[in-house]
Amino acid sequence: MIDIKFNVNGKDLEISVDDSKRLLDILREDLGLTGTKEGCAVGECGACTVIMNGEAVNSCMILAAQVRGAKVETVENLEQNDILSRLQEAFLDNGAIQCGFCTPGMLMSTKALLDKNPNPTEDEIKTALEGNLCRCTGYVPILHSVKDAVTRMKK
Amino acid sequence: MGNVIGKKVRRVDGYEKVTGKAVYGDDLVFPGMLYGAVRYTDIPAGKITKLDISLAETMPGVKAIGLYNNIPGEKKVGPIRRDYLPIVNDEVFYFGDVLAVVAAETKEQAYAAVDAIQIEYNPIEPLTDIEEAVKPGARLIHPEYKSNIMVHYPLIKGDVEKGFTESDTVIERKYKTGFHEHAYIEPETVTVVQDPTTRGYKVYGSIQNPFTTRKVVAIFMGLNLNQVNVFGSTLGGSFGGKDDIINNIACRAALLSKLTGKPVKITYTREDSLRESYKRHPYIMIYKVGFNNNGKLNAMKINILADSGAYSSQTFFVTWRSVVQATGPYEIENVLTDIKGIYTNNTYTAAFRGFGSPQVIFAQESLMDEIAEICGISPLEIRKLNGYKQGSITASGQKLTGHKVSLDQVISEAVEKSNYLEKFEQFKKINASSKRYRYGIGLACSFRGCSLGAEGTDASSAIVSVQADGSVIVFTGVNENGQGLRTTFCQVASEVLGVELENITFLEPQTSTITDGGPTVASRGTIVGGNATIQAATIVKERIFEIIKDDLKVNNINETEWINGLIKRKDENPDISAIKFSEAAEKAYWDGVNLSAYGWFKGPEVNWIEETGQGNAYFTYVYGCQIVETRIDTHTGKIQVEKITAAHDVGKALNLTGLEGQFYGGITQGMGYGILEDYNIQKGEVKSLNLDEYLIPTIKDIKEIDPIIIENEDKFGPFGGKGIGEPTLELTATAINNSLSFALGRRSYQIPLTLEQVFLGKNLRKPARQSEVAHTSKKNKKITPRLSNISTRSAANLKDALEMIASKELKPLSGGTDIVVQARHKTEQIKLLDIFSVPELKGVSETDKEVKIGAATTFTQIINNEILKKEFPLLVKACSLIGSTQIRNRATLGGNIVNAAPCADSVPPLIIYNASLLLKSKDNERMIPAAEFIERHYKTKIEADELLVEIIIPKMAKKEYFTSYYQLGRRNAVNITRMSLSVIMSFDENNKIDECKIVDGSLFSRSQRLTSVEKVLIGKELNEALINASELPLKEKIEQEIGGRWSAEYKQPVFINLFKDALYDILNQRSEG
Repeated sequence: MIDIKFNVNGKDLEISVDDSKRLLDILREDLGLTGTKEGCAVGECGACTVIMNGEAVNSCMILAAQVRGAKVETVENLEQNDILSRLQEAFLDNGAIQCGFCTPGMLMSTKALLDKNPNPTEDEIKTALEGNLCRCTGYVPILHSVKDAVTRMKK
Repeated sequence: MGNVIGKKVRRVDGYEKVTGKAVYGDDLVFPGMLYGAVRYTDIPAGKITKLDISLAETMPGVKAIGLYNNIPGEKKVGPIRRDYLPIVNDEVFYFGDVLAVVAAETKEQAYAAVDAIQIEYNPIEPLTDIEEAVKPGARLIHPEYKSNIMVHYPLIKGDVEKGFTESDTVIERKYKTGFHEHAYIEPETVTVVQDPTTRGYKVYGSIQNPFTTRKVVAIFMGLNLNQVNVFGSTLGGSFGGKDDIINNIACRAALLSKLTGKPVKITYTREDSLRESYKRHPYIMIYKVGFNNNGKLNAMKINILADSGAYSSQTFFVTWRSVVQATGPYEIENVLTDIKGIYTNNTYTAAFRGFGSPQVIFAQESLMDEIAEICGISPLEIRKLNGYKQGSITASGQKLTGHKVSLDQVISEAVEKSNYLEKFEQFKKINASSKRYRYGIGLACSFRGCSLGAEGTDASSAIVSVQADGSVIVFTGVNENGQGLRTTFCQVASEVLGVELENITFLEPQTSTITDGGPTVASRGTIVGGNATIQAATIVKERIFEIIKDDLKVNNINETEWINGLIKRKDENPDISAIKFSEAAEKAYWDGVNLSAYGWFKGPEVNWIEETGQGNAYFTYVYGCQIVETRIDTHTGKIQVEKITAAHDVGKALNLTGLEGQFYGGITQGMGYGILEDYNIQKGEVKSLNLDEYLIPTIKDIKEIDPIIIENEDKFGPFGGKGIGEPTLELTATAINNSLSFALGRRSYQIPLTLEQVFLGKNLRKPARQSEVAHTSKKNKKITPRLSNISTRSAANLKDALEMIASKELKPLSGGTDIVVQARHKTEQIKLLDIFSVPELKGVSETDKEVKIGAATTFTQIINNEILKKEFPLLVKACSLIGSTQIRNRATLGGNIVNAAPCADSVPPLIIYNASLLLKSKDNERMIPAAEFIERHYKTKIEADELLVEIIIPKMAKKEYFTSYYQLGRRNAVNITRMSLSVIMSFDENNKIDECKIVDGSLFSRSQRLTSVEKVLIGKELNEALINASELPLKEKIEQEIGGRWSAEYKQPVFINLFKDALYDILNQRSEG
């Protein structure tokens, strides 16, 4: 067991967890933040993507000890005060969501990109999302959504 | 009509999905809930001689272990033939059979107990080849059924032998398709809770067909249907795949719930899913066709063997659809089709989007192109000549009337939009002179029977319930899989009642509240559920009308318009105002009107004669055509899909966003089926166990998709709509194959079109060793890969780190992207030292002479570093292609080197740049050249008390260097590198090569400089003659290092191609510069 202090969605936390737990387990089980999903456990599908210290990471590959001192942002943080973010609105308006299981990961990978690069090229968008698998949408609507989000966020 | 129908609307269930609030099966938690885990067999076929749970039972947290003898109801289940055992008895039939189930307080306790179950077997040789299994005298997989042929559908039309004699030409071809995995991103999950009110159970989870789940659980647990209530959770994708397997998991969870008296959740890992869940049937198809020289088809004889795997499941239905559609949409007077479903010891096979059509389309559409070529006509002409028209008679003798036969239309629209004719000529021209890359354009078309057809009971239910305030609840017997059904039905209700979409909610399904609506399969959701919804909504509408008709001074409902929340007179009158729907509803409520209605849709009559395969198989059909443009790299066999134009007749577009989504999604899945998705199972043992080996398309694998929506309203469909889910998937793989044939001038008769399949004409497999087949459960083996037994310590600085590692007990943990994946399989204690944040291990610095990179520098940091971009472009290029952005944000250079995977992409550039590695221990330090550090796969010269601290790369001399780097992967992102090549070259003032370094990646057992080849090049002028001369020493080197290996047949010629291409690339750079 180890004690870890870290910050999730703006809130400071201190918990005691088993060393074998991953950030994904801590979020879903210890904190009840079930928006982040598990799809493969080997860092292939990206369904578990969160933003850690400003970067998109697969939370299924971050061991508990490595969460110490980290600043983590999950999909639950996108909606603020009952208002959806422009990114979420863009996803809703462009058919980016079917079963929705890849959606939290897609949103966080996109947010990590746009936080650093508000005007990405199509290639940069695809590179940011290459580690997020989707089986339903064929990706085209997701690409449209991100481009739409870029436009909305410029206004 | 068309207020909301045909429009783009937001999904009604979108809000919860973008906020992370949607509740999927694994998100559910119940008080006192236990976790279940399954114990799989270690062998694909044989008898169990010992099953000892005594140790497992006593382990911490274990509450119950369920075995065959604990099953209260029927031991065997199945949709038609009950041959499936959710928990086996004393025999196993495939690698995914379950011997025992364990419930414990935590997941890890359940998995640990599963590992402790001791089993002994008498294995038998698995029967995995359907051509062997069908032979008389083959071992019977299930002796009680007396045959490995579990179903046989014949179809007899006319007289094929006569047809052949009347044909100018008769040819025969054999086609093969492989297993196909659904790969929904959400793995299977079911939670079962005891329900004291029925003395039965409530079942939750990722459930595609709640009514089927209910039935199977009731049978297994010995209960009535009304004692099992199934609540589907938000479903993370299914594609037909969360049917039987979910029913079986539900049985196991229910059993554990009974044994423990508590709720039990079973959530599968991806490995569980790939191993156990059913796949699409592999088919072997022999088509013999007789035709005239003008291309007119006379006779077709089709023999199909479908691999049903260990159980029959849906094979009865899948093969039936194939027998109906096997000829394709072509008028043929004489047809003889025989399709057989065969038992083997492979993974069992069942429903997957397409359901027996993608396989036959592959055969028949590839064949059409080949016949066209033989006759000297175009792929278009042969389809025009033979394709279905209004009133054509199908192979099953059905006259195509009652709907618009739009085959011609879908083909012409696809042809026009894609510029097919122009591209056809253009690509032919390009290919005539092109050496490495060749371009192809291919077409495939289909007809597809809608809904279940004569194989099933095609009825469905809906409830529309208007509330007193005018808000509406819709409820159907078919299920939202993610495709957008909820939204479509809300649109339907909105259109009928005129209520705004935001005032309509679609209730989550539960089986006890509505009549069995049949499975959500066969692209039937819109037709059957939509029609039922229209009916229900219309009944309520008529009741409300009766209440307000006097207010509007009308007599007939047709005089009114219901729109935007209002009920108006069509014939406007300024003195009579429109009535708000909400007020009308309230009035009706107070009047005691029943504002809820049941809609029931039963599909029109269809029929089928078993013995002859004749009948009106489906009540309506859809038509589709896809044209694919590809670029083929003939040096590696890699197919790049450039553009897909898809024209599909959908009857009527109801939910436009959802419709387009089905185009993009189905096509992408079809593309994966055609090129990437290669389920590796050998001698019954599943080898591709996660998504790093079973590859599905990424966002980088999709370029352009152009959907063409064609609407010919169908009299049977809601507002004329039919179905789209499956037609979009079934064509893509074959269109790709046809484009490949165009490009290469030779044909492939097998999919998937992997690199090897395209390059060599066959797939290569690592041979399974006999010794690997287990006779007993292995000691110290994790049945379910997961993390356990990890302890971690952290170091604040390098001094502390070296102090801690001196004990040789700790393993350094850097980014974790390799260690975490590997640790999932290890049973021993893993003691880690987290060095990811040690400051001395981070950062890039430079002097005049060299650049130093801290070992814990991530790949993202490397590829964004200006010094490295300038000085060592090959390193930056290679690192930019590792994994994904998420992985590059964590994986470190040091970790990549020390892990020493055969495909470690950072290593070849480090060798080529003469990098050295600084290793430190508590009292010592040493430098090792990168080229010498790795001994072989996963083994380096590092000691257990050492850390790799720094990578030092000498700056290159100030002269002009030419570089070439190529990394071959199966897809366009997140690859395990198949092979890579790094080349650096410089020239003297006489144009002779004075420096030359060549390093391989993923080719030899460790990356190395190809010095024997470099020697041949140094001092010479770079030209075609030299490039050709360098081939022999390279060939010899490869032969010497990997000659005997199973992969050499592909790797050797491809690497030589890549090598020559690299040299030509440098030659071009020189002439341009």
